[in-house]
Amino acid sequence: MIKVDASLCLGCHSCSNVCPSQNIVRTETGVTRSIHWKRCKEECDLCVELCPAKALTLVPFDESVPEPEVCFYLVACKICGSRYATEPMLKRIESVIPANLQKDSEGLDWIRVCPVCRRTIEAERATRQMVLGRSRKSP
Amino acid sequence: MPVYIDISRCIGCRSCEVACQRVHGGSGHVNVHFVGDSASVPILCHHCEEASCTMACFSGALYKDGDKTVFDVEKCTGCGLCRLACPFGVVWTDKIAHKCDLCEGLAEVPTCVTTCPANALSTDFDLASRRARARAARVAAQGGRR
Repeated sequence: MIKVDASLCLGCHSCSNVCPSQNIVRTETGVTRSIHWKRCKEECDLCVELCPAKALTLVPFDESVPEPEVCFYLVACKICGSRYATEPMLKRIESVIPANLQKDSEGLDWIRVCPVCRRTIEAERATRQMVLGRSRKSP
Repeated sequence: MPVYIDISRCIGCRSCEVACQRVHGGSGHVNVHFVGDSASVPILCHHCEEASCTMACFSGALYKDGDKTVFDVEKCTGCGLCRLACPFGVVWTDKIAHKCDLCEGLAEVPTCVTTCPANALSTDFDLASRRARARAARVAAQGGRR
């Protein structure tokens, strides 16, 4: 069965996606995401191998150990307020992307904005540029 | 070699969206956004030089191959990190990740480009910049627009 280091877990979709026996259950409520690892007797260690945070280990089956479960609050988008990611996932993104790329040309901290709003911002920016180009007077 | 967008030509018909969905089994990678009454803008992968999606991918499923950002479906675990790492919101994850693949192996030229009835999309950087220069020259020749 699987042992989880809750302090390392990102709350991503990896383990629940790759488990061939559907022993890892992910539940989302709109505000929270919880991941529940059912007691499994299998020797497979796909989830352990494919955990981006190396938070999982394979331990011998033990009836007395409770099934691990972790629960995350989802972070709200700075613009629309929809909940789109777990805090450890965003922290991880902030740690792998160079600091100069974390703010866009207008100084927006885009990692804290949901993907839908990121597309909207991009569209608005392109439109502003086009309108500016059309109305620019010659020197 | 991304797909270049000339939004002053886009008519907002969403043909690119539909074409992309058609060739990619229902999950498309183009989104046409409408900005008030002034414009419609197809939003799709820029194939960034410094691609943050590839930096976030831990399994090596997303990587740079020359000037393209390519995706190896076999290595993807669907963790969702790339979706959160894309500054433009153009990487999606439903079970596994998907993004613009420039129709590699599906068509010679990306299907959105061949489908666009307004010629707003192209893969030719020179054409895109030539058009922009021509437009600027026209405006200058007319003494600028007021």
